[in-house]
Amino acid sequence: MPKHTGRGIAAIEYPTGMNQNGDPSQAWIKVKPDGRVDVFAGTSDIGNGSKTIQSQIVAETIGVPYDWVTYDNSNTDSSPVCTGTFASRATFVAGKAVEKAAERVKERILDIAGKELEIDPSDLEIVDGEVLAKGAPQKKIAVPDVAAAATWTYGELITGTGAQLKPYASIVDPETGEVDLPPHSAISYAACAAEVEVDDETGVVQVTRLVQVYDVGRAINPTLVEGQIEGGAVQGLGLGVLENCYPYYPSAEHRGGQFGSYLAPGFEDLPKIDTIIIENPSSDGPYGAKGIGEMANNAQPPAIAAAVFDAVGVWVTELPITPERILRALEAKAEPVRDGKRVVFDSELSVNAVSQGGIAFEVPA
Amino acid sequence: MKLTVNGIAHDVVSAPLATLLDVLREDLGITSPKAGCEQGGCGACTVLVDGEPQRACLTPAASLEGLEVTTVEGLGAPESLSPLQQAFTHHYAAQCGFCTSGMMLAAEGYLKRGGTDDREAIQEALAGHVCRCTGYVKIIDAVAAAARGDSFDLTVTAPSAGMTNLGGV
Amino acid sequence: MKAVGARLPRYDGIEHVTGRTTYVDDVRVPGTLWAKALRSPLHSATMSGLDVSPAEAMPGVHAVITAADVPLLEYGHLSALGIPADEPLLAKDEVRYKGQPIAIVAAEDEETAMAAVDAIEVDFDERPPLFDIRKAFDADAPKVHPWGNWYPHFEGEMDRRQIRKGSIDEAFDRADVIVQGVYRPAAIEHVPLETQVSLAVPEANGRLTVYSCTQALYFSMGVIAAHLQVPLNKLKVVGGTVGGGFGGKVDTASETMCALLAQKSGRPVKWRWTREEEFLCSSTRAPWHMEIADAVTKDGWILGRKMLTLHDSGAYARFSPYGLTKHSFHHTGAYTIPNLSFDGFVIFTNRVPTTAMRGFGVTSVSFATETHMSRVANVLGLDPYEVRLKNANRIGDTSPNRIVYTDPSTVSVVKALAGGMEVELAPEYAAMTRDPREGDLLPEHLVSQMADPEAH
Repeated sequence: MPKHTGRGIAAIEYPTGMNQNGDPSQAWIKVKPDGRVDVFAGTSDIGNGSKTIQSQIVAETIGVPYDWVTYDNSNTDSSPVCTGTFASRATFVAGKAVEKAAERVKERILDIAGKELEIDPSDLEIVDGEVLAKGAPQKKIAVPDVAAAATWTYGELITGTGAQLKPYASIVDPETGEVDLPPHSAISYAACAAEVEVDDETGVVQVTRLVQVYDVGRAINPTLVEGQIEGGAVQGLGLGVLENCYPYYPSAEHRGGQFGSYLAPGFEDLPKIDTIIIENPSSDGPYGAKGIGEMANNAQPPAIAAAVFDAVGVWVTELPITPERILRALEAKAEPVRDGKRVVFDSELSVNAVSQGGIAFEVPA
Repeated sequence: MKLTVNGIAHDVVSAPLATLLDVLREDLGITSPKAGCEQGGCGACTVLVDGEPQRACLTPAASLEGLEVTTVEGLGAPESLSPLQQAFTHHYAAQCGFCTSGMMLAAEGYLKRGGTDDREAIQEALAGHVCRCTGYVKIIDAVAAAARGDSFDLTVTAPSAGMTNLGGV
Repeated sequence: MKAVGARLPRYDGIEHVTGRTTYVDDVRVPGTLWAKALRSPLHSATMSGLDVSPAEAMPGVHAVITAADVPLLEYGHLSALGIPADEPLLAKDEVRYKGQPIAIVAAEDEETAMAAVDAIEVDFDERPPLFDIRKAFDADAPKVHPWGNWYPHFEGEMDRRQIRKGSIDEAFDRADVIVQGVYRPAAIEHVPLETQVSLAVPEANGRLTVYSCTQALYFSMGVIAAHLQVPLNKLKVVGGTVGGGFGGKVDTASETMCALLAQKSGRPVKWRWTREEEFLCSSTRAPWHMEIADAVTKDGWILGRKMLTLHDSGAYARFSPYGLTKHSFHHTGAYTIPNLSFDGFVIFTNRVPTTAMRGFGVTSVSFATETHMSRVANVLGLDPYEVRLKNANRIGDTSPNRIVYTDPSTVSVVKALAGGMEVELAPEYAAMTRDPREGDLLPEHLVSQMADPEAH
């Protein structure tokens, strides 16, 4: 039987926010005369759903329905600085900025409501678009009425700004890499198991199943989290077994310039994907959230490599794990070099074998 | 050349080698079909020609005399979404949205041909349509749901099958 | 909670399914010109005799730009992080990668622009290229970059990113087994369904509106402003709705050129890369070369790790020093390894410059260290879950750069994975938590790396 099954696992972590911090995000919010909320933030939505997540954070923080929130990230005239959508920072760092702006807005709403109701603002809360006295909810005023009062009684624009900036973590000792502050906003963790089927005649590796575990701190929107996990899984699969800009690496020749010659994963490559989400809240992310977007394609390649070894007994550590690499490895049946207590794999790939001595990997004896 | 798009007849004068994609996007201002590759490799330009999915980037405009083209705008409008559009919304089958119109029209063609909620059949029907964001799972969920004739609560989105939330562990 | 935690529909979901979402290429501005680039056909060459006048003279061509048209030719996108500028917006005197932009034409339509590009004259003197990062250090290696073949400006003008912790010699001395391996993930493409595209519109008041597919409006605005030497309010960057990015749309690859062409021609200019350009000329994920030697005990403790990383930056630095630094900070992965010796180099080759892609810096190190972990388990004949749980980060452990882990989830995710795979863990492993190490989970070699070793 030429098809062999195997499974392998990997556990990883990934930082939230730009490495070493210093990446600001800012937001400002204004409330219309009828209580609807306009958010201006500079975070680009690249498909990850940051418009959605940040709107949810604002709705929750102020206490108004989600569909009262409009979100504008469209241009640099009206939106303040956001460093960008990368480093898994759109929910935590940029989301924190909108959360802070929303908290300022909530304070203003409570203050004006307090004047209208003649109740101390600290005894008020906002639920579903209404300001209620805590413990005496019959004393209330709708947020639209508060906004109207702001506009036509008090002459106030209800607005709030927020800025999130974690101080830059400096490398205090370049020789050791020691830093003076945590160089991230949070760390997320994940694990993955891959099941593969390897055909030992064609070398084809079919990834049949991926089980993915992600600790996201808090799933602000579980559907969007799933979307990140599934999208990342297929990209990780591509990195692991399909894609290569330079098919004859390190040579730069024969690059694939079309979808037919560059192998981006398609429907036909899709494994069964099982997802487990864990929520161990971060200490200071919005509602405990941690980032997930970037790490979503990191755990699959090593899990697949381990699964391939489990299936056919060869370690392929050059990605992608192509049929050619499988067949060559099966033919070579390479064993690690054993020298005393050293077990040395892949010595033919090492700088020690390839360079002329300008660089070496020396292991303490 | 007379070309009907989403039920509206147009008189189009285009360059001899113009593609349907050029005509739709540049001449008629219908920008939902996307120029993802203009090589026929990604499917983002897919439209229905007389009900059949076809790559607009590979379709010479001149071949369309008298034919009916449907783009995603022809499936339904925001106030009256088609079942497939509702399915894509409810099942979160679009992230960046760039592949979505081509993907949906390919799916529409599948459903029109009597396609069922069999996931393998859906994968085969949509093969050749590239999505980089979703990982395909929720697209299949959406097409399967539309094939089943599910009704959709558009105020929420659906979990993928095979999803567990363990909470704090 | 009403909104947080709810499976609410996507904010722009209805627009996506009705074809109403507007991406840059869907924006219609009357009078827009098409841009096309003259790109280097060679991997490495000196360049001379660049003459764009035949293109400029062509009917329908409204502007051509070269290096001479750029007010500030080289701007370091991460100069705020200490990475000096090294890359010209358009090639001047030399080309260092196949596909490098040399001149950009703005014309009435795509065909005219392409014909104009073909009419540009330029001479090349080809040089041997460098592609193998392992050979970058050889005496006879082609010289790619004025800085040398590897980046020399890490902190303290070091030519490498270095991590040192504990005593690597002691760890290797004490080890029962040393497991070595080499890991080489490939360059891959971002493959967003929307290719690089931007549209620059000159406004009557002297401002430029730049519609951009960027993942970072302000970051790109800063890049454009720096190259053009204008204050930020001369620009309005419009975007925020991107047809996929994955890290490939931070480079600001087309916006500045469009802005310059719009200024020069007085007309709106759009540059939409073809899919071929996207595959062949856009920045990629980097290829990496990583060698790991782990000093381990028979019962599965990782006493120490020595690691060498070579990162292929392509022809210019871009974000590579940042990516390598992040990589170095995470080279122990989800585990606590007390003795470390990491050296990483950013190598210049004649490849398309590499850039951020999903997981930037850490994707590579996760592949290497996790595959290595599986190998270690296999060599020692130990269970892959158990080896991971044993060495897992715990509260009070410290990272490679001596930061305390306050809430690590290695144990949670590994145990949950075992559950998901229906793997039954041995009782002492099933009982593990993230709590601070003690007893059997705190062997002597892990004491000194604890955040508060005195407490033990």
